[in-house]
Order: sequence, then C-alpha cells, then structure tokens
Amino acid sequence: MGRIVLKNVTKSFGDTQVIPPLDLTIEDGEFTVFVGPSGCGKSTLLRMIAGLEDLTSGYIEIDGNDATQVPPSERGLAMVFQSYALYPHMSVRKNIGFPLRMAKMDQAEIDQKVETAAQSLNLMDYLDRKPADLSGGQRQRVAIGRAIVREPAAFLFDEPLSNLDAALRVGMRLEIGELHERLKTTMIYVTHDQVEAMTMANKIVVLQAGVIEQVGSPLELYHKPRNKFVAGFIGSPKMNLIEGAEAAKHNAHTIGVRPEHIEVSTTGGQWEGKVGVAEHLGSDTFIHVHGIDGCDPMTVRAAGDVAVKHGDTVFLTPQAQNIHKFDQKGLRIE
Amino acid sequence: MSDRKLPRLLQTPAVLLLLVWMLIPLGMTLYFSFIRYVLNNLRRPEWTTPSLSNWRGFGNYEFVLNSKDFLLAIQNSLLIVCSILFLTVILGVLIAVLINKAFAGQGIVRVLLISPFFVMPAVNAVLWINMILDPVLGLQGIAVGSINDLLDALRAAPLVGGFFSLWPELEPISFRATQTSAYAVIIMVTWQWTPFAVLIFMTSLQSEDQQQKEAAVLDGAGTWSQFRFLTLPHLARPIAIVVMIQAIFHLSLYAEIEIVSRGNGNKNLPYLIGEFANNNIGAASATGIFAVILANIVAIFLLRMIGKSLME
Ligand SMILES: Nc1ncnc2c1ncn2[C@@H]1O[C@H](COP(=O)(O)OP(=O)(O)OP(=O)(O)O)[C@@H](O)[C@H]1O
Ligand SMILES: [Mg+2]
Repeated sequence: MGRIVLKNVTKSFGDTQVIPPLDLTIEDGEFTVFVGPSGCGKSTLLRMIAGLEDLTSGYIEIDGNDATQVPPSERGLAMVFQSYALYPHMSVRKNIGFPLRMAKMDQAEIDQKVETAAQSLNLMDYLDRKPADLSGGQRQRVAIGRAIVREPAAFLFDEPLSNLDAALRVGMRLEIGELHERLKTTMIYVTHDQVEAMTMANKIVVLQAGVIEQVGSPLELYHKPRNKFVAGFIGSPKMNLIEGAEAAKHNAHTIGVRPEHIEVSTTGGQWEGKVGVAEHLGSDTFIHVHGIDGCDPMTVRAAGDVAVKHGDTVFLTPQAQNIHKFDQKGLRIE
Repeated sequence: MSDRKLPRLLQTPAVLLLLVWMLIPLGMTLYFSFIRYVLNNLRRPEWTTPSLSNWRGFGNYEFVLNSKDFLLAIQNSLLIVCSILFLTVILGVLIAVLINKAFAGQGIVRVLLISPFFVMPAVNAVLWINMILDPVLGLQGIAVGSINDLLDALRAAPLVGGFFSLWPELEPISFRATQTSAYAVIIMVTWQWTPFAVLIFMTSLQSEDQQQKEAAVLDGAGTWSQFRFLTLPHLARPIAIVVMIQAIFHLSLYAEIEIVSRGNGNKNLPYLIGEFANNNIGAASATGIFAVILANIVAIFLLRMIGKSLME
C-alpha cells in the first residue's frame, strides 16, 4: 500500500514561501512524476513527503494515517538521491543490506534479500566492491537496490538519472519502468527531463514556483494543457504561442500550435515566412521560421528529408483541430 | 632523454637533500652506538674521541638493556604515548562532533578550544604542576581543601552529621610522586593536544556528505548508527593522521617530564637518552636506536589497529 495525500501543505525557508498551499493525492501503485523548471520546489516537495524537510503548515497522510509528525524512518518510504548517497566505506553488499541491518533483521535473512535484490539488478558480480569502484549506472542500481530491499510503501526518486550519460539514461529509464511494472509500488519521480516524464508517468504533476499548474496523464497534458505554462512546458520542441490578430481570429488572446501540427509547403499556405535555422535530426527536421506575425520564430517539425535551407520562403498551415486557445489570463478555452 | 628521466633528475636534489638530512644523523647515531664514546674519562682518555678503534660491537646495547631504568623507560614511554593518544582521539572526536553543529558563539568557542595548542610545552607543564595539580597551592589542593571543610561543617551539623562522619577525609594526590608523575604528564599533554585533534577532525567533519546522512536517516539509522557507520569511518583517515603525528611527538616528550619530576620514577626513552648523554654518548646513541625501533613498532601497530577497526 502507498496512498499519499498532501493537504494544504506549505513550506517556507525563513521569509520566502517556496510552496504556497498545495493539495495533491497520489494513488496506491501510481507512477507519479513531478516536473517543472529548476527551483520550482520539486525536490522540496519530495523531501517533505520523505520527512527530511518539516512542513511549515498542512499535513501529509500515508495510507490514511496522518504522517506529518512521523519521523522519516517510520514512514516506510525509500528514497533514491541524485548523488546516489551510497555509503563509501561499505561494500555493495553492506550498502544494500544497511536498511535491513538497521531494522535488526538477522544476518541470514539479510544476505538472502540482498542477493535477491542484487540478482534482479544485475549486481551479483559487484557485491564485494566499494561504491568508488563502480560506474555511474552501477552506483545508481545499488542505490535502487538499497531502496528495494526495504519493501517500502513508496519509492521517491530525486532526478536519479541526471548524472548519467544519455545512452545509460535510456536503459535505466526502462529498468525503472520495469521495476514499477513488477513491484506495482507507488513511485514518485522528480525530473526536469520531458522524455522521462512523458514515458514513465501514469500521472504528471507540473509545478511552477511551488504551485501545481496541472495534474494528469501524459497524453492529457499533451492534448489538453490547462494553461499556457503547461502548454509550453510539455512537448518538445515547445508549442508555438501566437498572439495578436491571428489569435483574435479564433476569439482567443493567445493560440498555440505544436510544431508537429503545422504543415510546411513551399508553394502556398496560411502563413508566409523565411527559414532561419533548420535542424536536421535525420528522422525529423526542426525548422525555425521567421517573419510571422505574433510569433517569431515559429518552430515547425517537418519530415527528415524536407529540402529547405536558410533564407527559403515557406508557407505554414496549422491543423485546425490541433489549435489550442488561451484567454487573457493564459487559461485554456475549450 | 625519455620523458620519465627529466622529472626524476629534477627531483634528485630535493631527494638527496632529504636523504642527507635524515641519513647523516641516523648514521652518526648508529656509528656512536657501536663504539665506546664518553665525554669524560680520566682512566681511559682515548674513549673521549669517537674512533673506530674503540669498537664495542653490541656492548652499548647490552649495557642499555641491562641498565635498571631501561625497561621502566620503555614502559613509561608506551604508557604515556598510548594514554595520550587514546584520550586525545576520543575527546577530539567528541568535541569535534559537538561543536560541528551550528550554535551561537561558535566562533569564540572554537578559538578558546584551540588556544591550549599555542601554549609552550614547558609553560604548560609549569602551569599544570604548580597552579592546577599542586596538592596544596594548586586548584586541586584548594578544591580538596574546600571539600574537606564542607565535610567538616556537615559532620558538625545536626541530623545529617552522623551520615557524613562515615565519609573519609579526602587526600589530595601528589602528582610529583614516583607513582603518579606519569599521570600528570598524561593530563597536561592531553589538555594541550586535544585541540589539535579537534581541529583536524572538525575540518574533516565539514566535508561529510549530508545526503549520505539523509539516506541513512531514511534507512532507519539513529544518531548512534549514523555516527558509528558514517561519521567514524569518515574520520578514520584523520584519526590515523592524528595518531601518527602525535605518536612521533609524544615519544620524544621531554620538557614535561623534566619539569614534573626530574625523571624521578618517570623516565621515558628521551629522558633516559638525556641522562646517558651527560657522559656516555655510546649508550645514549644505542638508546636512540631503540627509540627509533620503538617508534616504528608503535606507528605500524597503531595504524593497523585503526585501519582494521574503523574501516568496515
Ligand atoms: N535549505 C534551503 N534554504 C533556503 N531556500 C531553499 C532551501 N532549499 C531550497 N530552497 C529554495 O527553494 C526553492 C525550491 O528548491 P528545490 O530544490 O525544491 O527546487 P527543484 O525544483 O528541486 O530544482 P532543481 O530542478 O534545480 O533541482 C529554490 O528557490 C531554492 O532556492
Ligand atoms: Mg531538485
């Protein structure tokens, strides 16, 4: 079990309020991802759930019990840190077994659980090494192993993959995804990597300056962003936001079109502009088009083999069904 | 010239200088320890100049081994050094951990804590033995005296008098006596060197990883377990450094022993060397070689012990 409910939770460091009153429910077994720009309070929120940071006000419920005053070790949550936070003087075996040893479990049982965890994480060959002698990915797996053996009610991950190189990150992303499939335990995952958020989450929580902008499934957020911030934050490359006359035509203050929802033509279309930079990725080409009213430059995603170059004139046409409309305050208009 | 040779060549003068620096005194000590060499001898004036013709083999060593003070000096050296190391490391770790947390007046407390280290050893000894440990005029005498006065008053009091008359009169300890002078030295040197340990441990504590601590908190480690499994292993290296440096310094304690008891019943190896050196340079040198051997044994033994017990 691992249902976590935050009610009216706030956090201030001295006079600065980092988290204004916030409510959030994380259902048992859910994979929840916190995303948001740097400094928006993701880590703080996670640390408050873990109990490493006191609440300034409000309360936290875990599985229906008030956990606000419960010390971190008794909340039944395991955390994986960005810096791994492995114990440098202990072997991998001792690192993974440490929480069990602290729980006064007997040695035979500890050994057995450590081996099981190590097996599932492919760490069998490294059990007697010290953390310093492991690669980044192996260290991260040890940190995960240390979390798994405790059989926690929920896992908390704070940007666990951001110290890894891109290829390893993809691999570890899949491993964590599989782990979630296998254990079906609640996981809360902090990241500012879009792809991680979109691919791993059942539920994404978008934060800005401590405020929850939107909560929903990845596709919900993609198709129906609640406001301009979420619209701009989810999706890569970013959604084009167009103001002024073009928006007025749709009775909106701002309209938004994702780069992948714009047709490119060299002969004719709704908007005319000049090609700035064209980024060829092989599978796709991201074209930055200048000279369009209300949005400069406009990013367009075209096929990989599209033949445009700097200075060409192109015509763009948005797909009518994929235009997002926002009002004066930036909120979505249906 | 290969790219290895040039750096070697450039290092050579420094290495040579160091070698000469160490080898010449050591070589001369070794040389003197194998010949008869005394400062003053009317019957055998030829012994007063060092010369190979006065070769004595291991005679000096035998003489030292058989002298009545030698075993005592070794025992005393070990007792003093080991006690000081034990006390300074434990006190150092405790104090460093205590003042590592932020609190008001931290700066002043730290400066006060470090200050004993800047007192000269001889001054330190004079202060302690006369002003603090003296059984009559020192703090100890005054404290014991006042407690006795208080006890006297209580004995005379009605009701509780009967109970307190069962208590004995307290005797102040004379720290210049044969049996206790080593303890006086241990106390004063511990007082002086604990700051050194605190200083080194404090620096090391500042570099302790806070996320490891948080991970340990979540893993269910209490304050003691965090200290035992994270802080102490983290301090293993600085502890080894403190032990090494102090072992070297305290094996050669001299001023304190001279001032406390003039070596009366409380000689250590350097003091013994000093006594021999009044006349018998050969025996003094042989003792010096024993001291070198002892220092090495102590250092190796202590480092092994720390390495084993702290690093898991
Ligand atoms: N101990 C602290 N004292 C004062 N301010 C703090 C403290 N910890 C965090 N903050 C502030 O709280 C805000 C949120 O910090 P937090 O670490 O939660 O951000 P984040 O969303 O995790 O950012 P990042 O993506 O860069 O990790 C930041 O503005 C930060 O400066
Ligand atoms: Mg963070």
